[in-house]
Amino acid sequence: MSFDPAILARVQFAFTVSFHIIFPTISIGLAMFLAIVEGLWLKTRDPLYFQIYRFWLGIFAMAFGVGVVTGIVLSFEFGLGFAKFGQMAGPAIGPMIALEVLTSFFLEAGFLGIMLFGLNRVGPRLHFFATCMVALGTLFSASWILSANSWMQTPDGVAVQNGHLVVTDWLKVIVNPSWLYRLPHMLAAAYITGSFLVSGVGAWYLLRGEHIEFGKRTVSMGMGFATVLIALQVFLGDILYGTMLKYQPAKMQAAEGFWDKQSESPAPYYWIIVPDQKSQRNRFALGTPYLGSIWLTHSLHGRVEGLGNTPPDLQPQMGIVFYGFRIMYGIAILMFSLAVASLWLRWRGRLFSTRWFLRILVVMTPSGVLATLGGWYVAETGRQPWVIYNILRTADAVSPVPAGVLLSTLIAFVCVYALFMAAFLIFAGRMIKRGPKDAPAYAEASGSLKPALKPGMANGATRNAAVTE
Amino acid sequence: MDLPLLSALFAAFALLLYVVLDGFDLGVGALLLLPSDERVRDRMVDSVVPIWDGNETWLIMAGVTLLAAFPVAYGILLPAFYLPLIVMLLALGLRGVSFEFRMQTERMRRAWDIAFSLGSIVAALMQGLIVGGLIQGIAVDGEHFGGSVFDVFRPFCLLVSLAVLSGYVVLGAGWLHLKGTAALRAFAERILHTAVPAYLGLASVSTAAATLVQPQMLAAWSAHMTLLSAIALLFLLLAITLWRAIGGRSDGRPLFLGLALFVLGIAGLGVAVFPDIVPYRLSLWDAASSSQSQVFVLLGAAIVTPIVLSYSAFAYYVFRGKTPEQGWEI
Ligand code: HDD
Ligand code: HEM
Ligand code: HEM
Repeated sequence: MSFDPAILARVQFAFTVSFHIIFPTISIGLAMFLAIVEGLWLKTRDPLYFQIYRFWLGIFAMAFGVGVVTGIVLSFEFGLGFAKFGQMAGPAIGPMIALEVLTSFFLEAGFLGIMLFGLNRVGPRLHFFATCMVALGTLFSASWILSANSWMQTPDGVAVQNGHLVVTDWLKVIVNPSWLYRLPHMLAAAYITGSFLVSGVGAWYLLRGEHIEFGKRTVSMGMGFATVLIALQVFLGDILYGTMLKYQPAKMQAAEGFWDKQSESPAPYYWIIVPDQKSQRNRFALGTPYLGSIWLTHSLHGRVEGLGNTPPDLQPQMGIVFYGFRIMYGIAILMFSLAVASLWLRWRGRLFSTRWFLRILVVMTPSGVLATLGGWYVAETGRQPWVIYNILRTADAVSPVPAGVLLSTLIAFVCVYALFMAAFLIFAGRMIKRGPKDAPAYAEASGSLKPALKPGMANGATRNAAVTE
Repeated sequence: MDLPLLSALFAAFALLLYVVLDGFDLGVGALLLLPSDERVRDRMVDSVVPIWDGNETWLIMAGVTLLAAFPVAYGILLPAFYLPLIVMLLALGLRGVSFEFRMQTERMRRAWDIAFSLGSIVAALMQGLIVGGLIQGIAVDGEHFGGSVFDVFRPFCLLVSLAVLSGYVVLGAGWLHLKGTAALRAFAERILHTAVPAYLGLASVSTAAATLVQPQMLAAWSAHMTLLSAIALLFLLLAITLWRAIGGRSDGRPLFLGLALFVLGIAGLGVAVFPDIVPYRLSLWDAASSSQSQVFVLLGAAIVTPIVLSYSAFAYYVFRGKTPEQGWEI
C-alpha cells in the first residue's frame, strides 16, 4: 500500500486542528460568560450567579485543559508536517504567534490557576480580576492566531528574496485585508457557541423540572446574548462573504455549487449537490428555484459565477467547501429563527414554559461547534491548493517524513484524541446530570467567600466535590 | 546590534525556564506511580495543579521563537525529531488532561494517575532523546533534514534521556520536599536519596560518552577547557551539597540546588555548541530570519516578558507555602 505523504500530512493537520478548535471555541465563549456572571454576582450579591459560576467553571476547566494540550501540538505541527511552510512563513507568522504566546497564553495560564483554585486565597475581587484576565487572554489569542491565519489567506506586506520571505511592512502583515472581517466573525462564533451551550443545559433542567431557578436564569441570559449575537453574525458573515469573494473568488464559487462560468438564469440556490470534480459538473443537484439569483445577486434573474472560472488545477474540492458552507449557513438560519422565537416568547412571558422551544434548545446545545467547524472547512479547504495564497502550494510545503511514519502518528493521534473526547463528554455529561450545587449561603451576606469556604464549614462540600462543582 | 544572537539568547532563556519549571512538575508526575496512598497522590498533584500550565507555556515560547527567528533551523530540527516530538506531545497531552480528569472520578482515579505518570515519564525521556540527538548531530542536506526520522534512537541518546529523567525526578522530589507536609516530605527525602546519585552518575557518563560519539565535543572540551571544567566541578560540588541538604531544616534547599544543577548543565551544553543552532551544521546567523522579523519578536519580548514574569511570580506567590492537606478549595 502506498500513501502520498502530502495527503497524510494534510489529513493529520486537518484532524488535529479541527479537534483543537472545538475546545477554544467553547473556552472563549465560556470565559466571557463566566466573567459576566461573576461581575453580576459581585454587583448584585445574588447567590444564584455564584451558583451558575461554579457550575460552568467546572466544564470550562475541562474544555480549557483539552484546548491547551491540543494547541501545544499545533504550534509544533507547522514544522513537523510542513517543514517548508515553517521555513517560508516563519518570518511572517512566527513573530505573530510569538506575540500570541507572550500576550495571551501566559496571561491565560498565569491567571487560570487563580481562577480555578484561588478564590479562597485571593478573595472575590481579585478573583474576578483573574477571570477577566483569562477571558481577555482568550480574546488576544484569537486575535493573533486569526491574524496569522488571515495572512495565509490574504498575504500582504511581504516580499520574496532568494527563496525566503522578507517582511516589508508589519502593519500590512498584521492588519492584512481579511483579518478585520474574520476576527469579529470568529469571536461572535465563539460567543454564540457559548450562549447555546449555556441555554441548552438550562433548557434541559427546565424540561426535567430540576434546578428551576438556575435553568431560568441561564436560558434567559443565554438566549439574550444569542439573539443579539446571531443578528450581528449574519451581518458580519455577509460582509465576510463579500471580502472573500473579492480575494478568493474560487472559494465562494465552490461554496455555491455551480460549475459553469455563468449559471443559468434565474439561478437556484442549491441545498444538496453531488459534485464530480473530474468532469467539472454536478451529478445531482437539488435547490430552490430563483433563490440563488435573489440571495447572491439581489435580483430575480441574475446569474451566479461558477467554479469553471478557475482553472481546474487551481480549484479547491467543491464538495467540502459547499457542505461546510451549507452547515454553517443552515445553522445560522436556524439560530436566527430561534432568536426571533425567543423574543416573541419572552414578550409573551412563555420563554421558560414552551416545551417545544426548550426541546429545540437542548438539541441545539452543540450547534455552535458544528457551525464553527463548517466555517473553518470553508475557509481552509476553499483556499487550496495554496497554503499561503498565491505564494506557496500546500503540496510543496510538506516535510521529508515517510508516509508510513505519518500514518502511524495519525493513528496515534486519533486514538489519544478519541480518549480525550470520550472523557470530556462523559465527565461533562455527569456534571450536567448532577446539576449545580447550592451556593454557600454566606456568598449573599458578606460578598466574601472566605468564611463560606473555611474547612469544615463548607456546606459539607468535600474537596473533590468542590472542584467538580 | 547582533539580532540573531539576542534572539538566540531569548530562545535559550525560554528553554531554560521551561526545563527548570516543567522539569519539576514532570518529575512530580513521574513519581506519582509510587505512593499507594491516594491522599498522598492528591497532594502531589495539588502542589503543581495551579501552575503547570504556565510552566509548559515556556515550551511553546521556545518553539515559536525558533519558528520566528530561525525558521531554517526550525524546518530542519522538527522533522529530524519528528518521532520523539510527536510522542512527547501526545504524552504531555495525556498528562495535561489527567490534571482535570482525575478529579472527576473516584473509581478511575488510579487509572488517570497512571496515565499522568506515564505521560510525564515518556515526555521526559523524549526530551532527553532530543538533547542526545542534538549532541550527537543530525544529517542536513542543504536547508533540509537529510537523515532518517529513526536516527534519534541511538544508544547515546537513550543514555541522555535517562539522565534527563533522573534529573527531573530530582527536581520533582525537591519540589515535594518544599511543598509537602509529613508523609509527603518523608517520601520526597527517600526519593532524593536514590535520585541524586543516579542523576550524578548518569550525567557524568553522558558527558564522557558525548566526547566519544561526537568528535566535535572533544574539540569543544579542548577549546574551552577551563570554563567547562569549572562548570563540571561546580556541578559536582552542588550535587554533594544537595545530597547533604536532604531532610535538612530548609525545605527549599534541595529544590534550589537541583535547579542550579540544571542551569549549569544547560550552560555547559551552550558553551560546547555555541554558536550553532543546528549543532555542527548551521550557525545562528545562517539560520536567522530577516532582521524585521527579529526586531518584532525582540521588541515584543522586551516589553512583555517582564510583565509575564511578574504575574507568573504572583501566581506562585498566591499558592505559596505548604500544599494544604485538604486541597485547594474553590
Ligand atoms: C479562534 C481561536 C483559536 C484558533 C483558531 C486556534 N487557537 Fe489555539 N487556543 C485558543 C484559541 C485558538 C485559546 C482560546 O487561546 C486556547 C484554547 C484553550 C486554551 O487553553 O487556550 C488555545 C490554546 C492553544 C495553545 C496552548 C496555550 C497554553 O498553553 O495556554 C497553543 C500552543 C495553541 N492554542 C496554538 C494554536 C495554533 C498553532 C493554532 C493554529 C493552527 C491554533 N492554536 C488555533
Ligand atoms: C482552528 C480552526 C481551524 C480549522 C478547523 C482548520 C482546518 C484546516 C483544514 C481542514 C485543513 C486541511 C485543508 C486541506 O488540506 O484540504 C487545514 C490546513 C492548514 N491550516 Fe487550518 N484550520 C484552522 C485554523 C488554522 C490556523 C489558525 C492556522 C494558522 C495560523 C492554520 C494553518 C493551516 C496550515 C498550515 C494547514 C496545512 C496546509 C494544508 O493542509 O492546507 N489553520 N486547516
Ligand atoms: C448568514 C450567516 C453567515 C454567513 C454569511 C457566513 C459567512 C462566512 C464566510 C464567507 C466564511 C469564509 C471566510 C473565509 O474564507 O475566511 C465564514 C467562515 C466562518 N464562519 Fe461563518 N457565516 C455565517 C454564520 C456563521 C455562524 C452562525 C457561525 C458560528 C456560530 C460561523 C462561524 C464561522 C467560522 C468559525 C468561520 C471560519 C473562520 C474564518 O474564516 O473567519 N459563521 N463564514
